[in-house]
Amino acid sequence: MKIAVAGKGGVGKTTIAGTLARSLARSGHEVLALDTDTNPMLGVSLGVGPETTDLLVAVRQALQDGEVEHEPTAEGMAETFGADAPDGVRLVVATRIDRFDSGCLCCGVTPDQLLREFETDGRVVVCDLEAGVGTLMRLEEGQADLVVVVANPTAKSIDVARRALAIAESKAAVLLVANRVSGPEDVESIRSALGRDPEIIVPEDPVIAGADRDGEAPIDAGAGAPGVLAIKELAERLVPTAA
Amino acid sequence: MRIAVVGKGGAGKSVIAGTTARLLARRGYRVLALDSDLLPGLSISLGSGPDPVDPPLNQAAEKNENGRWRLRKGVSVVSAVKRYTTEGPDGIRLMQIGKGGKDGIQPIMGAVNAYYKLIHRLGDARTFADWAMVADMPAGPRQLAFDYAPFAREYLVVVQPGAQSALTGRRVAKIVRMRGGAEVRFVANRVKDKEDVAHVERLIGEPVFWSLPADEGVAEAERLGIAPIDHVPDSPTIAGIEEMVAALARLGGNSSR
Repeated sequence: MKIAVAGKGGVGKTTIAGTLARSLARSGHEVLALDTDTNPMLGVSLGVGPETTDLLVAVRQALQDGEVEHEPTAEGMAETFGADAPDGVRLVVATRIDRFDSGCLCCGVTPDQLLREFETDGRVVVCDLEAGVGTLMRLEEGQADLVVVVANPTAKSIDVARRALAIAESKAAVLLVANRVSGPEDVESIRSALGRDPEIIVPEDPVIAGADRDGEAPIDAGAGAPGVLAIKELAERLVPTAA
Repeated sequence: MRIAVVGKGGAGKSVIAGTTARLLARRGYRVLALDSDLLPGLSISLGSGPDPVDPPLNQAAEKNENGRWRLRKGVSVVSAVKRYTTEGPDGIRLMQIGKGGKDGIQPIMGAVNAYYKLIHRLGDARTFADWAMVADMPAGPRQLAFDYAPFAREYLVVVQPGAQSALTGRRVAKIVRMRGGAEVRFVANRVKDKEDVAHVERLIGEPVFWSLPADEGVAEAERLGIAPIDHVPDSPTIAGIEEMVAALARLGGNSSR
């Protein structure tokens, strides 16, 4: 199963992707976490820490720099360039922009290519997308089984979620997550603006806020915190343990 | 005064860019606000109304015989600012790259190409020598690497007190400094107290230029989709941005090369 997480910048995509990956791994699934943000940050919410996350090798740059032998398969790339995160999650960073004049991003390994090529035989791939809808637009049908669209109760993030849902619906199953919800009126503002009920509601949670502040994985900061529990519920719903 | 506002998604870039543009206009500058985000944001914070589906800049470009985009004949940076921008509150001119829709960016490719060509001519245009320019950049490093604000002399790197936001701030600041030709100024946003400012400074490894307080009024404006400067003009964040703009002006940020 391949799950991609989309939404406006800052809505909690990375928090949800990281916590989802850890929850699935704790339920016994083999999990590959794929970070396709050019500002890669998934390592932080997986619990690798900000400093280590900043040093992780990105597949695209590693191949480009040519210091390592080219690995022809996505599996080989995961093996060679991936990193281990807690609970046995394997983390792969697709690409990183850390230079002025980085050159064209159309050539070489692309995020959607990696997402497409990772075989999911018995494994769950959780992919954290770049802010916005760019990767969603390039995504082809079948590259992801499910797109999780994250919205906050703010006008801008709801607008981005609307665009993301419209683009993703023709390509994969979609699921709407309302994140940082403080009360029923927040759910209502998202529901009425998007014309659909959020399938999962993640409450505003000081434990998650604190984890973000300190660069910890939310699931390590408080596995029983309400926000973390809501994401665990999402994990169970997406890939039931019994199945 | 030539400012680009950068940082992680959700850090508060558009609120700071939009409010700064409004305040500069009220200080008497002619202001060009630049929106290169394919997603909505700046127009809400600026209070300029809904983004046009067909951005005016689409009219500024055409394809040549080889299928490559070029500015239409007779379109200069001066005429483009006159014709292909929209007017926002306080007399601001708003130039937009356009918003991606269900059909992706194909419908706005003319505007995207025109925007990129025009911004590289803005810095040298004498007509705009005394204008203020305020660019709201999309989340992350992508556009910085491709030089989407070559006119900017000040980059405001917005960071809120969190590890991801600070790491993003460090990354984008590094790219801006590699490019050179502009000042990097960190702005700590949504800080509750001195400890929050110290936390941001620890995480980025250098002092912040300015800090802006957490503000329930601005949060409410964001929920409602209203420009904070219109919704809560007397709020602490707006006052903070006003002081920051005054400080930037004192630093001589109104010089234009």
